[in-house]
Formats: sequence, C-alpha cells, structure tokens
Amino acid sequence: MKQIWSIAATTLGEAIRRRVLLVILLVGVVFIAIAPGLGVLSARSETTVLRSMLLGIIQMTSAVIAVVLTVYMIPNEIERRTIYTILSKPVQRWQFLLGKYFGAVLSLAVMMALMTGVLCIAYWIQQGYNAQGLQDLLKAPVMFFVQMCLLAAIGLFFSTFVSPLVNFFLSGGLYLLGSTFSLLFQDMLANPNAPGVAKMIATVVNVIVPNFAYYNIQNPIINPQVVIQDEFQNYVKIMAYGVAYIGALLVAGILIFDRREV
Amino acid sequence: MTRKSKLPLILLAVFALTQAVIGRVVVFPVWVKDYKPKGNQANAGGLSPDQLLLSLAGFRELIAGILWVRADSFFDTGNYDAVLPLIRLVTILDPHQIDVYATGMWHIGYNFTDEDQRSDRRYIPSALALGKEGANNNKETYEMFFETGWMWYHKVDDDYAQAVKWFEDAHERPDIIQARKNLLSMAYFRAGELEKGIGLLNKLYEEAVVAENKADATYGNTQVRETIENNLDTHLVRFVQRGEWARLQDAKNGTNTFEQGDYDTLPPHDVGFSARVTVEAPRVIRVEGTWNVLPIGSRIRIVLRDEDYPNAVPAGMQWDMTDEVTLDPPKDITFMQDQLFIRNRRFDRRIDMSKDVTMYPFTKDKYVVEFYYNPRSAPPHLQDKFGYTGIGFTDSNFLDLQARNGERVMYAKLELTRDQLLQRGEWADRNAVVQTKNFDPGKRVGSQKDIINIPNLRAKG
Repeated sequence: MKQIWSIAATTLGEAIRRRVLLVILLVGVVFIAIAPGLGVLSARSETTVLRSMLLGIIQMTSAVIAVVLTVYMIPNEIERRTIYTILSKPVQRWQFLLGKYFGAVLSLAVMMALMTGVLCIAYWIQQGYNAQGLQDLLKAPVMFFVQMCLLAAIGLFFSTFVSPLVNFFLSGGLYLLGSTFSLLFQDMLANPNAPGVAKMIATVVNVIVPNFAYYNIQNPIINPQVVIQDEFQNYVKIMAYGVAYIGALLVAGILIFDRREV
Repeated sequence: MTRKSKLPLILLAVFALTQAVIGRVVVFPVWVKDYKPKGNQANAGGLSPDQLLLSLAGFRELIAGILWVRADSFFDTGNYDAVLPLIRLVTILDPHQIDVYATGMWHIGYNFTDEDQRSDRRYIPSALALGKEGANNNKETYEMFFETGWMWYHKVDDDYAQAVKWFEDAHERPDIIQARKNLLSMAYFRAGELEKGIGLLNKLYEEAVVAENKADATYGNTQVRETIENNLDTHLVRFVQRGEWARLQDAKNGTNTFEQGDYDTLPPHDVGFSARVTVEAPRVIRVEGTWNVLPIGSRIRIVLRDEDYPNAVPAGMQWDMTDEVTLDPPKDITFMQDQLFIRNRRFDRRIDMSKDVTMYPFTKDKYVVEFYYNPRSAPPHLQDKFGYTGIGFTDSNFLDLQARNGERVMYAKLELTRDQLLQRGEWADRNAVVQTKNFDPGKRVGSQKDIINIPNLRAKG
C-alpha cells in the first residue's frame, strides 16, 4: 500500500508541474469565469443556459485533462527509463500501475475541485447566493469526477500497450462513443421498425462500451422542474457501475502490463 | 501476484460481469427514466458537426438557444421554411423550451398557407403531435396542455371534446393563470356539456370573489370577477332562453316542457343549403349556393380533397392521427379547406388553387367537395337561434346526424374527377358543373335582403 501511495503522490506532483495540463485547466477556468456573460446568447432563461454552460465546460475540460494525463503515463516512464529505477525497487508492476492510476485520480480531483470552485463563484456572482441552487449544481461535478475516473482508467489501460497518439484517439473516441451510444441505443430500442438483429448487436455493444452518458446527470439540474425520485440511490448505482468497470480495466491493464517487455 | 496466478483473470471476469449487469439491468432503466435527454437523438441530424459535438458534449441548451435566436431572425425575414427544421432541432436538443414548442405549433398549424392565405391543413396533425410531445415533456406546467387545447378549439374548431380534454389537463396544473381558466367553460359549451360549463363558471366566480376580498387584492382581481360574472350572467340568460334549462329538467323529470315552451330555438330554423360547383379553369372552382342565415358570423366550411385521403372523416380528417412530427407531409395528397361567407342569403366564391401546385397537387383520380356547418362553432348571436348544440338548427335536405356521431350538422358532398378539375381529356374545353339536387339557378338572380330577425337576449325567458 505504501508503494502505491508513493507512486500516486509522485504522479500527482508530476501532473501539477505539466504545463500542457495547466494550460488546459487555465482555458477551462477562463471559460467558466466568462460563462455568465454568454447567457445573452440564448432566448431562454439565463439560469438554464448558465448552468448548462458551466457544467458543459467542466465536463469537456476534465475529459481533455483525463485523456492527456493518462495517455503518456506508461510510455513516458518507459521512454525516460525511469520505470527501471522504480521496478528495481521492491515494487510490483501491479502496484506501479495502481499507483499511477490513483495519482491520475488525485490530479483530476485537484483540478476539478479548482474548476468547481470557480464555477461556484461564477454562479454566485450571476445568481446571487442560493444555497439550494448551488447544492443541486454541485451534484453534477461529483458525477463527472466518477466519469473522469473511468476515462482515466481507459487511458491508462490503453497506455499499457499502445503509443500516446493512438491512445489519445482511442480514449477520446471511446469517450465520445460512450457518451452518445446510450442515447441512440435507447432510441433504437424504442423504435418498433428497427431490425431485431440490429437491436441485438446494439445491446451487446451497449454492454461492452463504457456508458459515459450515465454520468451526464445534468438534465434535471439544468431543468429543475424535472422531479427525480430516489436520487441518492441512483447515484450509488451509477457509481457502482463505474467502480466495477474501472476494476475490470485496471485488472486487464495489469494483466497486459505484467506480460509486457519493458 | 504471479504470472501463473488465476486471481487476475477471476477478478477481471467478476468486474466485467458486474459492470455488465449493473450497467444494463440496474442503471440503464434508471437513466432512461430520469436522466436521458428527451427527444430522438437520431433526429438531430440537421446540426452542423460542431453543433452536434457541442450538444453531445453537454451544451445542448446553449446550442438550442443559439438556434432559436437564428430561427427568430428567419421569422423576421419571412423565411418560414427555414424556421421549421430549426424549431424541431431546438425541441429535440432542449425539450423544456416551452416557448419553442408553442411557437412551433402555431407556426406549423397556421403559417403554411397558399397565395390566398388558406392554411395547409396537411400540417395540422404534425402541429398537434408537436403540442402533444411538448405537453408530455413538460407535464409540470399547464402551458403546452393549454396551447394544444387552443389548437383544437380554434384551429380545428370542430372536435370540442378534444379541446375539453386538453384544457382540463391544463386546469390540473397549479400554475395555470386566471385568464386561461375561463376558456374551459367555453369549450364545455361547444362540446355540449352545458351543466359542466355553468358549473365551472360558478366555481370560478366563487374563487374570484374570494380573491377580490383578500387584503392584497388588486384592480386585476376586480376585473377577473367582473368578467366571470358577466360570462355567467349571459350564459344563464341564454341557458334559459334557448330552452336548455327546460331540456335538462325534462331529461331529469321525464316531462316535456321544452316542446311546449316559448323558446328561441323553437321551431328549428331551416338553413336551406344548396350548392353548385363550377370548374372555371384548371385548379380554379367557383362555388355558389344558398344559406338562409344572417351574414355576420355565418361561415360554411368547404373541403376539396382526395376521395381516399388518409384518415379522412366527413369535411375533415382525424387530426390527431399521428404522434410523429412530420415537417414534410406527403406531397401527393390534396386537402383544401376554406370558408364560404354569406351575403344576401347566398354565397358565391371563386377558389383559385392554380398558384400553389405543391399544396394542391391533384394526383388522384377522384375528389370530393364537401360542405359542412356545425352550429356548435357558430357565434353566440346565431346560437341564440340554433342553441348550443344545434337543437334550433335544421336543413330539410342536408341535416346530418352521422357525420359527427349524433351532432346536428349540415353536411353535403359532391364529386369531381381529376380530369374535370384539371380540365383535361374530355373536359379540356368544357367547364364541369356539379350541384346539389335542390340547387335552383333562378335564385341566384335578384336580391333578397338579409334575414335579421334572429332572436337576441331579452328580458323574459
């Protein structure tokens, strides 16, 4: 456990020092800060658009950070040969991988917390102090964080056997697919004219592909008139799904990394 | 963990299976029910790639807002065709934009017209479907229920039971505003549910009195009370004078006081309908005929449609035939609906469909020209004679109790062929003429003064 924690802490330190991540973070923070001024773009309630934009910016920025953060993790260690130093110590490969993953999760937590802090300030300035509104709004970043942990697990999994560039497109593509497929899948299931075979294949894909859309819970937050029952239970279920998927990805990553010549 | 250990594989299997079960069985139904954005995402294909990406990335409301602003600019420039797909996209992206639903419904239902400002009725089912979709997506507010009811009440202006149903749904929502409430009573009257209409006005009056007597009452509260009081007074007088009160008592007590009473609706007034249709040029018809009623507010519906028009009913169609919002109705079917205005107890109208070939394609072989009048749609001064439901209305030739499930309406039908309408084949150099059996060309000549002795509100009942 100590080894895993040490590697995680080092990874966090590295992430905070990486300029590219800081630039992405800065862009996100700037966009969140100016978002209240863009509400005039819509004919609809400014609150609705503001919530939609703030949450959208956090989600998009976090996704880019998660991908960029993880695609380089293992390849960089190998390229810089620092991995030999680490693995020559009493550290197992699985501990190294888990340490890297938890380091990525910690980095994401820090960066998302910063963006969420700016979000709160922007929302407060625009809407005035509204504890209930803010509390509702903050549910989304929490679920986005779980979503990004899943995305980081995907990035780390691929980084055990593909190059960073390929990984970038693989992880990014999977994120897009996972964010959209459930929507199309549900529409297909509801369409009585869709062929049975297509529905069957879609069901299989739906089970295999990570469903990032499950974490997009912003709809009832942006449109508060939608009433959700058993909200807390829903979040627990969605988190359980993420934990199971992350577990599968980490174990698969460990299996591949364990067999890889470095 | 050694390479030969089976633990990782077991763990992998357990995690993979767990995520599959939780994801598909536990989370997916919850997500569909509570979190999935409403609307069919497959229909969002009209977005540019950057818009689609942004909307998928969570900026749905923002993109919807920008599109709506763009739609507004198309409205301003009169580019109505461009507005429709934008409205659809906005409602798909952000199904809680009630203004867009309401405006879209109105736009689809009212604004697609021919050169003579006749609405393209082929769009009405889509407009109603959009209203239904908007109501389903925004069940917590009265607005789309009211808007959909209004389209039934005002645009369809025929099936008032539907208007009642939607207005009642609107009334169940706590946010309905006072000014909208009265309309349900009017819908009740037109639907023939007279007791309910009077009952609702009574209830609204009592509520208005309570509101007016509150400490924080405004001048608006007084206006509301006065409006309802006036409505109630007028309808109570009409209720009695038209003999509806007597008919209700007769039904309850098994008596026959209505037939023996001095009521404005007795004896039923024969409207004496007759009509002739002449094809004057390709896609141009002249409609003449007689109608023995006051000119003001007297409008007879005329429909010219394919004989086999899908889901047609006499002088109309099943307006709620679909739940699908189709922005592009079939271009090979024809449904023209207009009104005939009365002057000197006659109507004479030239209807030119030649400038709008896409709206009136005339691709089928056989057509029917239908004439229809429902006293329930008549203005109050005519209903003073006809009664709320047409008890004082009759036509010796064309009174029809079948066309609208027992309602007393006038309905007549003539037939034309495609060759006649387009003046082709044997009709190339002839004008086709079809007419009702009772049409008397002699009556067209000379002038007969308008009948103006329709009863009005009076002191004795």
